[in-house]
Amino acid sequence: MVARGLKRKLHDSEDSRGSFWETQLQSVLDISLDKYQRDQALVEPSLLRSVLINNTLRQVQSEVRTSLTEPTSAWKPQPPPRPQPEFLSQREIEDFSLSSAISAILKNLDAALDGGYNPPPSTLLPPPPQRTPLASVENLPGDGKFKQNLGFTHMMESCRTSSVGTSAVVSGIFQESTIDDLLMDLDTSVFGREMSSFAPHTFSFPADELMRYLPSLSTSSPAPSSSSGSREIHELEQIMDILIRS
Amino acid sequence: MCVCSLCVSAPRAAAGVGGGNDFQWCFSQVKGAIDEDVAEADIISTVEFNYSGELLATGDKGGRVVIFQREQESKNRPLSRGEYNVYSTFQSHEPEFDYLKSLEIEEKINKIRWLPQQNAAHFLLSTNDKTIKLWKISERDKRAEGYNLKDEDGRLRDPFRISTLRVPVLMPMDLMVEASPRRIFANAHTYHINSISVNSDHETYLSADDLRINLWHLEITDRSFNIVDIKPANMEELTEVITAAECHPHQCNVFVYSSSKGTIRLCDMRAAALCDRHSKFFEEPEDPSSRSFFSEIISSISDVKFSHSGRYMMTRDYLSVKVWDLNMENRPVETYQVHEYLRSKLCSLYENDCIFDKFECCWNGSDSAIMTGSYNNFFRMFDRNTRRDITLEASRENSKPRATLKPRKVCTGGKRKKDEISVDSLDFNKKILHTAWHPKENVIAVAATNNLYIFQDKMN
Repeated sequence: MVARGLKRKLHDSEDSRGSFWETQLQSVLDISLDKYQRDQALVEPSLLRSVLINNTLRQVQSEVRTSLTEPTSAWKPQPPPRPQPEFLSQREIEDFSLSSAISAILKNLDAALDGGYNPPPSTLLPPPPQRTPLASVENLPGDGKFKQNLGFTHMMESCRTSSVGTSAVVSGIFQESTIDDLLMDLDTSVFGREMSSFAPHTFSFPADELMRYLPSLSTSSPAPSSSSGSREIHELEQIMDILIRS
Repeated sequence: MCVCSLCVSAPRAAAGVGGGNDFQWCFSQVKGAIDEDVAEADIISTVEFNYSGELLATGDKGGRVVIFQREQESKNRPLSRGEYNVYSTFQSHEPEFDYLKSLEIEEKINKIRWLPQQNAAHFLLSTNDKTIKLWKISERDKRAEGYNLKDEDGRLRDPFRISTLRVPVLMPMDLMVEASPRRIFANAHTYHINSISVNSDHETYLSADDLRINLWHLEITDRSFNIVDIKPANMEELTEVITAAECHPHQCNVFVYSSSKGTIRLCDMRAAALCDRHSKFFEEPEDPSSRSFFSEIISSISDVKFSHSGRYMMTRDYLSVKVWDLNMENRPVETYQVHEYLRSKLCSLYENDCIFDKFECCWNGSDSAIMTGSYNNFFRMFDRNTRRDITLEASRENSKPRATLKPRKVCTGGKRKKDEISVDSLDFNKKILHTAWHPKENVIAVAATNNLYIFQDKMN
């Protein structure tokens, strides 16, 4: 039951504490990315789960950034991650294990892009379009108005009545007047926008980014020089931004 | 007093939990299939006693509700201490398909909540991810016979053949328990419903999903009030969701909801129509020495329950149970460690998804003890007065009638003593997420996957 890559060590020296932290960082990153990708393949991932995994990834990003500014510092409690990306000054990466973490991130992303998805289990209809868990499909333009509406009626979401004593109303059985009401409320221009934001475009942006940076990384030596080191920081930044944004 | 040989000869087990006396928990009954192969649909997803404790309802992943009724203790069977037998079974929710979003809606029953009894019939609310239903469970033990217009078989009689009028007579029949859906509260939740809670006014109830809480009137199905909405304008900025909500047991204007960041907000519906601004905010400051990558995930609250007195509330996060005084917002008054030995295993538990398991918790009738589940079919009880705790196991091996449960212990390191189990041997597929405590007596119901265990205190 010991975590993958995690060694049981006494944390009495700064060095061992540092490597323990890095090993755990690597594990958490690997696992989080894996879960994130699996959830992408689901038709409707759990919102709670997505939020927790996303927040963990953000925390990893923040830890990596902090460690890059203080590469030799031992493990210490970090402040809560800030959503806005910060600008980092260019610094040489001295720690080899950190650059291996970076290449692992890129490897994972690469695998995700090349491997593609397992189509979500379809039941009756052909596979529905992929949806990123917190994607802009939720930001329907009409949504904002419900918040200000003192909430007395759900126009979009329910005008269905069921009278006492009649049999249970099963979803899909509508009364004609309710269908008309619903259709009037639907803003069909939204669907055009939704369709264009779905996969296969989900990963097209990071794919371009990745292609741009991969060749430069393959030429970097195990002991990175200062120029490729700073580029690595920048690439890591880009990758993490992409992850957080998607 | 139990006089069977099994209990008399067994040495007195370690002190039980509850009140001032030492209680000893005995096995009473187990419901469900013994088969090793568990059908997914049979997995119990919620357990709830009604207000009197006479009825015990369970919901499962297949959308079914099974209600057990406690037998009246009779002189014929003095040793039968009120066993629970099946009273009614019905299909509450069916799998549905949302055509607009191309999504399947699971029929799994997330929660059941009983309404206080007002007449001979019983009412309960059951909910899946999207739809809440009000069910009426009523008994029928009489049938009218001697109709004028139809035969006993139900065939219509020729009106010209009827020469005399008679008054139909009520005749006894075999008891029939009928469950009928009286209200369907649908289409008010975009996200998955995680909680329902009946208000103390017995007229309204709330339902909560990941981002919104709605207030309903039990008689009105076509509309509800939205009272909390934490959905951000841009979903990419979402960092916190609602995990549970409950109405105050006495103050019908007060409710609480918990979040994935380990905070609880208490809201007063008198303050505003939209309770986005809380009246009280409960959060324990983080212990910097125990911070890890998983701190936020394990702080996510999976259940919140008010005490019966209404003065306290209890929250369950991944590793602990906390009791809060409603008058103190900055930290809980009591914290109980459920399975602290898992703290060093969090990375593995994150990998195998166990860290996302949502455990529930419950109070006993007098608020002196609390109970919650763990892994390996273990469940834990904490006595708030004596500060003693006990770990018990729900298993078929301990299922001899009226057998006293032996306390279990998890070995955390070093030499493993006899009868202890090491952390690495725990079965993480056997999780006890749902437990319930009889509102008045020391009777508990524990759901272990597809089996329901009922334990009673020997002293009762």
